[in-house]
Amino acid sequence: MDSQNTSAISSAPTFFASHRLRRNGLAAQIAGRIGSGMLVLWAAVTLSFVSLQLAPGDIVSLLIGEQLRTPEVEAAIRAEWGLDEPLLSQYLSYLTRILHGDFGRSYILQTEVSQLVLSQILPTLKLTTAALFVAIIFGLVSAVLTAGRRIPRGIAGALELTLVSTPSFWLGILLLYLFSFTLKLFPVSGDRSFSALVLPALALGLPLGAVVGQVLRQGLERALEEPFALTVRSWGTSGLVLRLRHGLRHAALPAVTLTGWLVGSLLSGAVITESVFGRPGLGRVTVEAVLGHDLPVVLAVAILSAFVYVTLSTLVDVLYLWLDPRLRSDSPEAAR
Amino acid sequence: MALAAAAPVRVGAQTKTAPVKGGALTWGVETEPNTLNPHLNGQAKAKLILRNAYETLLARTPDGGYVPWLAKDYAISEDGRTYTFTLRDDVTFHDGEKLDAAAVALNFAKLKEPTYSGSISAGHVSHVTEAIAVDARTLVLRLSRVYAPFLDGAAGIEILSPKSFASAQLKAGGPEIAGTGPFRIERYVKGQEIRFVRNPAYNWAPANAGHQGPAYLDNVTYRFLPEAAVRTGALSSGQVDVIEGISGNDAGLFKDNPEFTYQSALNTGTPYTLYLNVAQGPSEDVRVRQAVLAAVDVERVIRSVYRGERQRAWGILTPADTDFYDRSIEGSYGFDPKRANQLLDEAGWNSRDAEGFRTKNGKRLTIEIVQSQATLRDQRDILLQAVQAQARQNAGLDLVLRYVDAGTYTTRQNDGQYGIIPNSTTTQENGVTIYFHYLPRDKGGSINYSRTEAPEISAWLDEAASTLDAKKRFEIYGRLQRFTLLEQAYGLPLYVPDDQIAASARVKGVGFRPFKRLPENAYDIWLQS
Repeated sequence: MDSQNTSAISSAPTFFASHRLRRNGLAAQIAGRIGSGMLVLWAAVTLSFVSLQLAPGDIVSLLIGEQLRTPEVEAAIRAEWGLDEPLLSQYLSYLTRILHGDFGRSYILQTEVSQLVLSQILPTLKLTTAALFVAIIFGLVSAVLTAGRRIPRGIAGALELTLVSTPSFWLGILLLYLFSFTLKLFPVSGDRSFSALVLPALALGLPLGAVVGQVLRQGLERALEEPFALTVRSWGTSGLVLRLRHGLRHAALPAVTLTGWLVGSLLSGAVITESVFGRPGLGRVTVEAVLGHDLPVVLAVAILSAFVYVTLSTLVDVLYLWLDPRLRSDSPEAAR
Repeated sequence: MALAAAAPVRVGAQTKTAPVKGGALTWGVETEPNTLNPHLNGQAKAKLILRNAYETLLARTPDGGYVPWLAKDYAISEDGRTYTFTLRDDVTFHDGEKLDAAAVALNFAKLKEPTYSGSISAGHVSHVTEAIAVDARTLVLRLSRVYAPFLDGAAGIEILSPKSFASAQLKAGGPEIAGTGPFRIERYVKGQEIRFVRNPAYNWAPANAGHQGPAYLDNVTYRFLPEAAVRTGALSSGQVDVIEGISGNDAGLFKDNPEFTYQSALNTGTPYTLYLNVAQGPSEDVRVRQAVLAAVDVERVIRSVYRGERQRAWGILTPADTDFYDRSIEGSYGFDPKRANQLLDEAGWNSRDAEGFRTKNGKRLTIEIVQSQATLRDQRDILLQAVQAQARQNAGLDLVLRYVDAGTYTTRQNDGQYGIIPNSTTTQENGVTIYFHYLPRDKGGSINYSRTEAPEISAWLDEAASTLDAKKRFEIYGRLQRFTLLEQAYGLPLYVPDDQIAASARVKGVGFRPFKRLPENAYDIWLQS
């Protein structure tokens, strides 16, 4: 906010000065972004650490499970995992270790966390990227083709409402039943080929696409009622070109605001989708880690999600500047 | 003995056509192993996967006997404290090492280290004082005292190659952790599948296996499909060849369908039982506990919830435990609403509140059932609701259902803050599970849900553990069963959990282990062309 204001005020008359200032402004903006990003990361680590300490059940009991519990076993477990130290020093030593890229070892899976996360991140990335494509394409097509047209609008709206309100578990099973078990077009499980990605991407992407579609359509309809739309029409431009070239840019702003929500939904939706389709991935690992009190894994995933979130929200801010010239600090409108 | 003869043999042995060598099999399984190291993995459902690569000293027969496997022979000294195993001399691990007595002794030594095996080190192996390789073929284990379940435990420990203990994969398991099995781990994709390839050198199957020599299949892949409906769909559409874990509703799709085979086997261990807390709340009173047992028509509840696909339980062990299940308990107690009400009247719970529940001094007769979400499978939530309805209707008992996460469950269990804990166990056999359930919690009763500390029980269990006379042990456990269920009503056994396997009809030789009744590995499986 601050850096934006200062750069807006300082946007100077001469081209060179303005250019230099804009660069400084941008650098400060980016530095501020990174700084606040680190702060968010640290907060994510601390909050996850605290909440796992507050959750019921101590880690030693969970590790022992219903096996025999003797003082020697208990001591060995505490020593092995560093649980015999006071909480504060556990927390501090954890912070030091993650700065060196060491995320510790999973209590339950007995494996290095960084290795575990690295092995699971690619399948989740594939799934969420594919689902994002599905969501955007579905949203775009549905909005551009139906905005402002009564009957198609009604049909698309009903379809979107159904998709949004269908639990993804159900949608996954339904897609599997139709396209895998009955028509045998796609395989059921795994991260083995492109065809195995189709159904999970649809199951995860369609409900999100429905929300994107609703938001885009509203924006598009508003844009088409603006005076500029009439001007463009008067040039003899076809309706589709008007929608794609001029309307969409206006409609995109509120939809882009959804990105943060979209990323969150993709990550949390991946949990269910991965388990229904028997896909590897971070979502399943996370749920099992939370249920099993597997602290090192939960913390690593929390840090990773915070990182993704911070990176994307920075990108979105940049995207705003590109989409809407009024927000650019050097533009005459902003300097008004 | 007659029972053993009547027990089903492996399906592979019954087929008339000669088995075909080669081919690949895909098996859809419910549970992904936490770790692939068989020493550290406590999941009963992971055994069918791990048994492809890891083997034990002795195998079991349906009647509870022992047959040679990695050990050709065994002997127990007269004082019951020295076990001598004579090993085969032709066995090699997947990493090329020879199996010898030193390798087996190393396994026992490692298992005794708490840093390696955590709480497992406190189990069977804690009784071992010395593991000595007398010569290359002879292993001697000395125990601190006579401990009857030891042979079952020791004979069931998977033997890993000595090099494995130096591997970085040791705790997580993996291809570097070498066993001696008919298949070796080729590839593990977490969250997706694990693939095994045939061990061509394999020639040491247990004497009671379906065949000898290498396995028939070239390779076998276990695909992790946690959703029951997805496993069913994957099998019926031909995407996998075998599945396990079939819901009661789906069983009909594969039963009596010529394109598939369907089989089920009762689990050993303990039935799914409601254990009543004797140390807290209304269930402290033996009359209230007996009233709970009499208030529920278990037979009817099980039949209606599972549509005849599950068997009602009676005892402290399941009928599949051919060593120690005393079936004289069957029918000796049960549904009797008149008695239930009489008992509660006697116990002073003789007024009713507006909702029809019994009260005493203005307090409602409420017992809280704490069910862990981790073991909430097999429609147990519906079963518990049915039990709750019956208790209310027949005796005015208020059973409150709480489904809790792993952390809360452990806390409640440690603090004793519950009225009833329902659970079943599958892995601990040869009577060991009785010790875990009925010894005081600080004396080894790690899952003593009823929290009984009755001195007579401890005395009986001590007596049984220090004799190798199986008949005497049977009698003692029978006495304990009558005491805990008929006299003290520590628990209400509901049903016997089972395992189910469905397979495409071209898959032959798939089945259950002869004794522990868990699904067997892929050694005897072959594909009809």
